[in-house]
Amino acid sequence: MQGVAVPVSLVAGNSIIHRLNPIAKLAWVVVVLVIAFMTRNPLFLLALAVVGLVLVTAAGIWRSFSRVMLILLPIGTSLIVFQAVAPAFPRPWTPITTFGPFTIYQEGIYSGLSLLSRAVSMTVFALVMIMTTHPSDLFTSLKRLRVPYVLNFMLAMTLQLIPVLQREIGVVMSAQKSRGMKSTGFGAVLPSFVPVFAGAIERVQQLSISLESRAFGSSGIKTSYRQVSVRPFDWLIGAMAVAFLIACIAIFLTNNFLDMSRTLVIPAELSLILVGLSALGFVGFVGSAIWLIVRA
Amino acid sequence: MPGTPIIEFDDVSFTYAETETPAIDHVSLTIYEGEYVALMGRNGAGKTTLELCINGIVPNMVIGDMEGAITVEGVSPIDTPVREMAKTVGMVFDNPEFQMSQMTAAEEIALGLENLGVPYEEMKPRITDALALVGLTGFEDRMPLALSGGQQQRLAIASTLAMQPRILVMDEPTSNLDPLGKQEVFEIAARLNREAGMTVVLAEHEVEVLAEFAHRVIVLDGGRIVANGTPEEVFDDVERLGAIGLRPPAATALADRLRASRAGWSGTLPVTTAGAVAALQPRLAAGVR
Amino acid sequence: MTATATGPSGGPTIPRADAVFTGGPAMPRQGAVEVEHLTHVYPSGKVLALEDVSVSIGHGEIVGVVGQNGSGKTTFSKHLNGLLKPTSGRVVVNGIDTAGKRVQELAAHVGYVFQNPNHQLFATTVQADLAFGPQNLGLPEDEVQARVERAIEFFGLQHVRELHPYRISFPMRKLVGIAGIYTMQPAIFVLDEPTTGQDHVTTQVINTLIRRLRDEGATVVCVSHDMPLLADVVDRLLVMWNAHLIADASPREVFSNTEVMARTKLEPPQVTSISMQLGRRPALSVDDLATDLESNLTSVGVA
Repeated sequence: MQGVAVPVSLVAGNSIIHRLNPIAKLAWVVVVLVIAFMTRNPLFLLALAVVGLVLVTAAGIWRSFSRVMLILLPIGTSLIVFQAVAPAFPRPWTPITTFGPFTIYQEGIYSGLSLLSRAVSMTVFALVMIMTTHPSDLFTSLKRLRVPYVLNFMLAMTLQLIPVLQREIGVVMSAQKSRGMKSTGFGAVLPSFVPVFAGAIERVQQLSISLESRAFGSSGIKTSYRQVSVRPFDWLIGAMAVAFLIACIAIFLTNNFLDMSRTLVIPAELSLILVGLSALGFVGFVGSAIWLIVRA
Repeated sequence: MPGTPIIEFDDVSFTYAETETPAIDHVSLTIYEGEYVALMGRNGAGKTTLELCINGIVPNMVIGDMEGAITVEGVSPIDTPVREMAKTVGMVFDNPEFQMSQMTAAEEIALGLENLGVPYEEMKPRITDALALVGLTGFEDRMPLALSGGQQQRLAIASTLAMQPRILVMDEPTSNLDPLGKQEVFEIAARLNREAGMTVVLAEHEVEVLAEFAHRVIVLDGGRIVANGTPEEVFDDVERLGAIGLRPPAATALADRLRASRAGWSGTLPVTTAGAVAALQPRLAAGVR
Repeated sequence: MTATATGPSGGPTIPRADAVFTGGPAMPRQGAVEVEHLTHVYPSGKVLALEDVSVSIGHGEIVGVVGQNGSGKTTFSKHLNGLLKPTSGRVVVNGIDTAGKRVQELAAHVGYVFQNPNHQLFATTVQADLAFGPQNLGLPEDEVQARVERAIEFFGLQHVRELHPYRISFPMRKLVGIAGIYTMQPAIFVLDEPTTGQDHVTTQVINTLIRRLRDEGATVVCVSHDMPLLADVVDRLLVMWNAHLIADASPREVFSNTEVMARTKLEPPQVTSISMQLGRRPALSVDDLATDLESNLTSVGVA
């Protein structure tokens, strides 16, 4: 069996972000997640995303980051297309202009922009964390927080099993083709699940025996090989996350969640450009998805 | 090589749940400290079950009926939790990849140490030593799943060695490896036995290698022990081995063929290349026309 | 092309690093497999897996492919049924160029038996699984059934035909895996490590099987680490090392070539080593050496 490459997604580096305690980083990601869902104001969310980009620069991970964003953006922008013409918003709707047979609504653009900027801001912060944290360090930190050992272990294994399962599915599909199986794409992947599943079960059985033989599940005191430090600076960052959350909640509660859906005026030309661009993005996404499925 | 018994099976039988025939059937044996014992037998003869009894996986992790008594380093694996037995018995299995679960080689080795509560300060040196013993120095940060089969198997061995067991039990550790990988694993087993006095119990099909390194060979057939002696003793009965679906080393098979022909053979049958050559060379020099 | 040419003094010169050792004179062959200057680079890691490999395999030959992991032997075998396509060079199997042909189309000509039978078995009973291949070829149902019956007969699968593939022993599953390819009646069989991890009896079964396939007119390419098996059964050995084909000759010629054996760190079978150390021609089986020695030894009387 050949070895597989587990996509650790950690980008090597020693920036201030890399050296931050994983829990401090996790705290910020959770805070941003909560905040992003509390408001629909695209300007606020965009500003949040920009702050995230500053962190990307500080971490020095632009190359890997842009590679991921390049894949996600076309999907994201398609949101604008749908929202522009059929807003998920209570009526009445204010039309801005027309795009062929479709009418573009003010609320639609607003909605689309807020969904997009929400997705972007969350993704940026999540990527900053994933790309600057070694999974083992995260798991060690979670262990410290009394997350059950077994859960940690399951998470670590899942991460590694993905490329293994990919490889196995690939082998099974080669075997099917070698026996003349005609159906391609998704039709071919489905029957491969049985052998892959059986293989996965066998693997888990043997692994559990191997682990038991190494005293896994010992009830005694367990020590830890990986040491993750917690500095005062990490506590400060964590505290700042909580403070930020409280501040934002306060602002939202007193300002109607920064709702600018009726007040933010979007010029017609801008809306047309936005819809046009996102339509392109959408088409590109669908096209490459079809191509990938057919090619398999 | 008598000495202190370290593993004793006294009339042991085990039948897996929902099966009729016992996987091992009235097995009695004694393995002494520092011995290198080879287990031979067809697939399904009971080698794996026997080995799993040594650290108690059978019967503690497997459902079935157990009879008889086992003593390993003075303790009964039947009545001791497997995690306790892990301190004396290290086990390596046939699929290298299925034994890997951590993100780095160092963590893979540390897994057992963490479970045993070994203090942090002691872990690093143990990990370094274990990697050195298997020829993987410098591999601390490598990802186990990205390694070759031979490297993974050596890492699996290192992971058990770090726990400092007295007994190393291996179940067909080279069946999924290429020739180089096989050589490396056999070399490590032999070296540990020779230099560190590690008791080695090894189930394998590679008869030629077993003949070279094992002090003793135990042959299983249908769950029973049908032979238990030195390689020379066990492999001498070529016909018997053939009847149960096994073969002796080629050197022995050759000598046996000659023994039955008009050329004949005197003395014990050789079990290694060197042995065969040494016995045949003088006869050849004289007899060649 | 031989690797040892005579130098000015008449003795053999040191072989060139890129020369392919081919032993004795080449026999004329009609191609079952023609590989011309095959080079393969893996797209993902820019790894050079094969470089300038050229081989010609005739119909009815049994050929072994050996080499350490990473030598290119598996990459090579995957080109034979189109699972991999050449980066440069050509692979022609049963007269068909693999370039531009899908694996499914080549499946009727080249049957690839995977190392792990679990990857290949799909149906809920053994006999349904045997029918899978010929059904995919679009054959009429009575032809499919006829082939299934023949396979069951040939491989001795009568007592397991109704069973689920995962309920039979692993060695039996390996046989079913080969049988599933057999029902497609390809001209060429590619066996990937058929005896790895198997015990002696199963190895003997595979040995007999390979010979019987050849007797039926098939060409067999066997990728394996099992040197004793290959020594006994193959006509030719292809030795892969570091993406190159460094030897293409009979087993005896390959085992006698100390340079090739040293380079690949492959060990000949024990009986071959014994024969060579005794100064005899390399033996390919115990019978072979015993026959050679019987009349040449001083007798010591009946034991």
